[in-house]
Amino acid sequence: MYLPLYVIYAFIISLGSGTLGAMLGMGGGTIMVPLLIFLLKVPIHIASGASIIAVVATSSAAAVSYVKEEMTNMRLGMFLELATTIGAVTGAFMISVMTEATLRIIFGLSLLYAASTMFLQSRKMERSWAQRPNDAIADRLHLGGHYFDSARNESINYGVSNTPITFIISYVAGIVSGLLGIGGGGIKVPAMNAVGGVPMKVAVATSNFMIGVTAAASALVYIRNGYCDAFLTAPVVLGTLAGAFIGARLIRHVRGVDLKKIFVLVLLVLGLRMILSGVGF
Amino acid sequence: MSSLKRMEALVSGILRAGVLLSAALIFLGLTMMVVTGDTTCPNGNMDPAWLINGDPFFAPSHILFLGFLVLISTPVLRIAASIYVYVKIHDNAFTTITTIVLFVLVVSFTLGIG
Repeated sequence: MYLPLYVIYAFIISLGSGTLGAMLGMGGGTIMVPLLIFLLKVPIHIASGASIIAVVATSSAAAVSYVKEEMTNMRLGMFLELATTIGAVTGAFMISVMTEATLRIIFGLSLLYAASTMFLQSRKMERSWAQRPNDAIADRLHLGGHYFDSARNESINYGVSNTPITFIISYVAGIVSGLLGIGGGGIKVPAMNAVGGVPMKVAVATSNFMIGVTAAASALVYIRNGYCDAFLTAPVVLGTLAGAFIGARLIRHVRGVDLKKIFVLVLLVLGLRMILSGVGF
Repeated sequence: MSSLKRMEALVSGILRAGVLLSAALIFLGLTMMVVTGDTTCPNGNMDPAWLINGDPFFAPSHILFLGFLVLISTPVLRIAASIYVYVKIHDNAFTTITTIVLFVLVVSFTLGIG
């Protein structure tokens, strides 16, 4: 395809998925990678390579405001980064021995998983969360923390429990991130929240904080393996960043629940198409 | 300033500067590439060895690739900065943890296949 046109299409696709991603509180990669594959006929390895570099950009940009609002638990984040970076490198190495078809099927399954968690989220408005004390490891490493909840107008203390399980799930999240070129927040956030007992807002901020380092680890392997196409990656990074910026502002004017319902359908359709194309239909 | 406050200021400063600088470089490189039509790097594939051995230093693709490198280095630099803070406050456990993370990042780049 003629270069400038290709660049413009890639920019528009990533601008759209970046905007949606920011509005839904998930990375843009989940929807962008399938769109690049289906609309621009990009091989999945290259599409994931462009996506993982864009993920580094958006998570770093978002982390600035989260860290400033003191929502991020940096100790917990840096501890779990140990698991996610090793996982990410594992995943990024696995991709070079996997075929296009296999990766499409795995990606499709992850889209269906994302659709189901988003569907459950849209039905349950408020997740029940109970304060838990630190377990032995969390106590030793001082992983617990506190944050100011503006909705409840009070400072909330929390501990981290089930640290070993949370650590192992984070390793798996790292593998998925490296393998598919996405942030993997969809796995880390529920792990920290439901398993580790960390409040939802802290889990989201901390997951985002970790994604930058996790994605950087995968991105380095992708580049080394030649899965980084400059003409695709450049517009994708710029488009996703601009989209994240727009999405963060638009979010105040749109009802999240309606948006989620539509998005569940989009994820379902894309997921099924990815799996079918991987199987050979 | 407390060590936590110092860490927060350091971290958000590094992240902000890294994202802005890399976005500017990527935009510049891409614009130059489209305007001049100079797409020297073969098939758009990015190879670090090519950056070092490549021909003209200010080729559009060089600036573009530099932008990607700055972007990816941003979180790596953030880890390096946190090691420094943990060493200063004598937090041995976290000095070790963050050093291992940095080590994994360095290894991931140097031990890539191909």
